[in-house]
Amino acid sequence: MAKTEIRVGGLGGQGVILCGSIIGKAAAIYGGKHATLIQAFGPEARGSACSAQVMVSDDVIGYPYVKEPDILVLMSQDAFTQFIPKLKPGGMVLYENELVDPDGHLPPGARAVGVPATRFAEELGRRLVLNIVMVGFFAGVTGLVPIEAVEKAVRDSVPKGTEDLNMKALRKGYDYGRQQATLNN
Amino acid sequence: MALDSFPVSVTVRDGTLVTITPMQPACTNALLAFYRHLPEEDRRVLRDDVTTTDWAEGFMRKVEAKEVVSLVAKTGGKVVGEASLYRTLRGWTRHVGEIRVTVAAPYRRKGLATHLCSALVKIATDLGIEKIIVQVVDNQVGARRIFEKLGFHKEAVLAHHVMDIAGMKRDLIVLANDVSQIWAAMEAANQDYAPHLG
Repeated sequence: MAKTEIRVGGLGGQGVILCGSIIGKAAAIYGGKHATLIQAFGPEARGSACSAQVMVSDDVIGYPYVKEPDILVLMSQDAFTQFIPKLKPGGMVLYENELVDPDGHLPPGARAVGVPATRFAEELGRRLVLNIVMVGFFAGVTGLVPIEAVEKAVRDSVPKGTEDLNMKALRKGYDYGRQQATLNN
Repeated sequence: MALDSFPVSVTVRDGTLVTITPMQPACTNALLAFYRHLPEEDRRVLRDDVTTTDWAEGFMRKVEAKEVVSLVAKTGGKVVGEASLYRTLRGWTRHVGEIRVTVAAPYRRKGLATHLCSALVKIATDLGIEKIIVQVVDNQVGARRIFEKLGFHKEAVLAHHVMDIAGMKRDLIVLANDVSQIWAAMEAANQDYAPHLG
């Protein structure tokens, strides 16, 4: 049974929960797998620490809490500091490289890949789609869920009228992720 | 929707394949020919005299200065429709864009104007424009219906505001679409407070 534990971390207002929700939705609704989502957010609407625990499995999931993530998707330095000690040995860290600096703090054997998601989102015209760039990057690097499933999940999750820009953000992150995955293999 | 997403091919209601492309300098003469072939009754409701070379040159300058985003619909090498998004790049209405659209008579009621305007609404949203307006004369019922389907609503009526080229005065209706709501909804989706999930 293949089970992948994912922790998405960042700050409130970055769309951390939506990012986790889309990954889970892509896997469970459009990817033929099982998935669970658990979220944690601070009392403030914006700027407080926020995280989502996503479990993706080929089998039914009996216990949805992420104890030792295989993959960390990080959008703030605080989230990096908080979650890096729990990373599974040999696990993977996907991070926003203008907001997170992993230098010198990665556990031995961990693989870290960064993406300038904020810059990509700004180039597309809306910083707001940073989380969707991260979803695309996740799909591109890990290959855990087919991009077609992720595309459907994004279309299904974002507000009407924003689909085109969100799809571009997804594709930008995905292409960059594929490129990085090829370079690192 | 960015301009690099074009050309886009659309099939209109009678099955004709139409290609929509951003306006290019090379297309100026074809656009001028399109406007010159419009019957006078159609040109009565246009704001400018679009049959002159001066107008075409001025229009192209605005396109190049990015004050106008113009989409041209072509089939069989001929322009059959044109839609433009006018914007001011500075000043107190820099968040507002205005759409103008013209379609040749044989291509009306076939969905072409809707394709053109829908693309411009997406372009405007991506450009950060928050409010889009369109001005229609009171007897342009079809145009009004297209925009209402795209989310526009009547915001103002300027009585006897338009004098057409035959000297007849008509009411001008300003329709508006507050597209800032679209991105406000995305901001809400990114709030990271979602007790209904997980």
